[in-house]
Amino acid sequence: MTGLEAIAAHNGWAIAAVGVSIVFSGLTMLSIVISQLYKVLDFWERRDEFFQRMKGRGAVEDVPRITVSPDMKETVRQYRMLADRLGKPFSLPRLLDLARKCGLVNPHSTINRLLKQEIIVPDGEGYYHWHQSISS
Amino acid sequence: MENMFLEFFSNTGYAMADYRHVVMILIGVTFIYLGIAKHYEPLLLVPIGFGILIGNVPVFKGLGLGIYESNSVLHYLYLGVTSGVYPPLIFLGIGAMTDFSTMLARPLLMLLGAAAQMGIFLTFLGALALGFAPNEAASIGIIGGADGPTAIFLTAKLAPELIGPIAVAAYSYMALVPVIQPPIMRLLTSRKERLIRMEEPRVVGKREKMIFPIIGFLLTCFLAPAALPLLGLLFFGNLLKEAVVTERLAVAARTSIIDSVTILLGMTVGASTQADVFLTSQSVGIFVLGALSFGVATASGLIFAKIINLFVRTKINPLLGAAGVSAVPDSARVVQMVGQEEDPTNFLLMQAMAPNVSGVIGSAIGAGILWSFMS
Amino acid sequence: MPTDIQTLKSLGLFEELTPEELNRVAPIIHPMKVGEGEILTQRGEPATVFYVVLKGNFIISFKDGRAFTLHERGDIIGWSTIVTPFRYTGTAVALTDGEALTLQGDDFLQTIQGESSIGDKIMKKINPIIAERVPYFSRDAARRDLPPAGAE
Repeated sequence: MTGLEAIAAHNGWAIAAVGVSIVFSGLTMLSIVISQLYKVLDFWERRDEFFQRMKGRGAVEDVPRITVSPDMKETVRQYRMLADRLGKPFSLPRLLDLARKCGLVNPHSTINRLLKQEIIVPDGEGYYHWHQSISS
Repeated sequence: MENMFLEFFSNTGYAMADYRHVVMILIGVTFIYLGIAKHYEPLLLVPIGFGILIGNVPVFKGLGLGIYESNSVLHYLYLGVTSGVYPPLIFLGIGAMTDFSTMLARPLLMLLGAAAQMGIFLTFLGALALGFAPNEAASIGIIGGADGPTAIFLTAKLAPELIGPIAVAAYSYMALVPVIQPPIMRLLTSRKERLIRMEEPRVVGKREKMIFPIIGFLLTCFLAPAALPLLGLLFFGNLLKEAVVTERLAVAARTSIIDSVTILLGMTVGASTQADVFLTSQSVGIFVLGALSFGVATASGLIFAKIINLFVRTKINPLLGAAGVSAVPDSARVVQMVGQEEDPTNFLLMQAMAPNVSGVIGSAIGAGILWSFMS
Repeated sequence: MPTDIQTLKSLGLFEELTPEELNRVAPIIHPMKVGEGEILTQRGEPATVFYVVLKGNFIISFKDGRAFTLHERGDIIGWSTIVTPFRYTGTAVALTDGEALTLQGDDFLQTIQGESSIGDKIMKKINPIIAERVPYFSRDAARRDLPPAGAE
């Protein structure tokens, strides 16, 4: 027996339809569960914060202050002035370029120090800004 | 003395060989060539290719040499295939080397892995229509799952006599994924679609990755218990990997265990393709249906991705649908390659791994369903 | 001078390689010293050398002024040596004196393609890094509204 007749005789249509449906429902179910999993875990990790907020005791998060060493103060001032000309957020390579053009000493390692001390902070999208506690 | 010499010669492979042995040996050599020279799945094609050579040296029946003789060494090694022991062990290793992060980051892409399993069931229908018995049709259909161990596992359970041709077809087409898939992908997608960039996946936490194998195992195996040997060991291997504290076991699973089993499985499957068993019209039908199965699976994934795009705001690149064919990681690499032909800065590989690994789960569920229907 | 196996093993990129595989890759890896301000890669130029940071700090900048910095041992520079079209996507400059391991692109590509097990292990490490860096040079990035270069 061959052809459509064979498929019908062996209940092929039903097996295929049910099979596809089960595969789909299995993976859909798994997909739904894992799409929520990280939310549940996230909530679990922040449960204390959540309960505090529920009790109305949510504290305002302070921005940690950066202490600039005296020898860095002048450097920070110079670089801050240059960065202000580049807008907010600013491009780090352009700041480097500008510092070099202005004849500042060791611009590369200076910028590295500013980064390491978190005086200059990445915005996560490839640009940079000054730490919030460093005023203009 | 002359008689002795002639008698000895008549017992050698040279005297007993016919054209079928030569054909099979050429196939074996081709496999070895593709593996070594062309780098098409060398870890599989080289053992299978050499296995084909082993299986096609003509030997006396009754001496306990051939793989189908119950007291032969090859037969004992082949027991791992016929009993279905090797495939789950390979799944253990796959689990221990698979990173499910991209799938966890973008669960919607899992549905592409489900869609590509349409290939299994459509080929099942095709095989029935060609006159194969239902158990054989199910074994042929699973080739479309693009998962060698799954195909061997199901065939061992349903149609052990077809293991040779089905395994060779499955692994050949898996190795040929870079040849089979791209034309279908280009045919079914527009340039604009191929240029779609995917959003960067979110970072998946360690705890999430650790919990996933447990949830994944429970959900899928409760739904399709027949997939337990495969999915159980797949998720167990993944838990060993993600649990960190079991790193030593994970390393063993993804290196020595999977490598040893791959050698034994590849070599014995190759050796099972003896000319008299393999060169039949049935094998030709299996190869034709296998190719069709891969094509249908690829097309199903692509089309389903386009359907999803009708309903979602952030479009997905439909090429990812082709990665639902669970040949890991080859079909994901093909997606990357075809995507980069249009835009060299478009990186789809990591995104494509999501449907790719979900395809592994999907094809194992598909195998479990077919097994439970047929038994 | 090829690099010793212990150094390689201590780097994230090579940590999954077996001792035999490390022995295979060691001959194509050579250490070099880098001086402050030295340019390692130039955006748009053919990507010929791949670097693994041993010591020092580096900045990688892109067309529209985006940049990120590398400060950790094991950070990589120059993945374009193994990805089409084999041109650097960013300019890498040393912010401080430092040291790096170098791999010639052809040798690296040949090893990755020729030894699938080594290739898989290394690409598994590199792929997430590429995915992480893609937004810095993708087209979307260029749409960002910033003062044009030289406006200062």
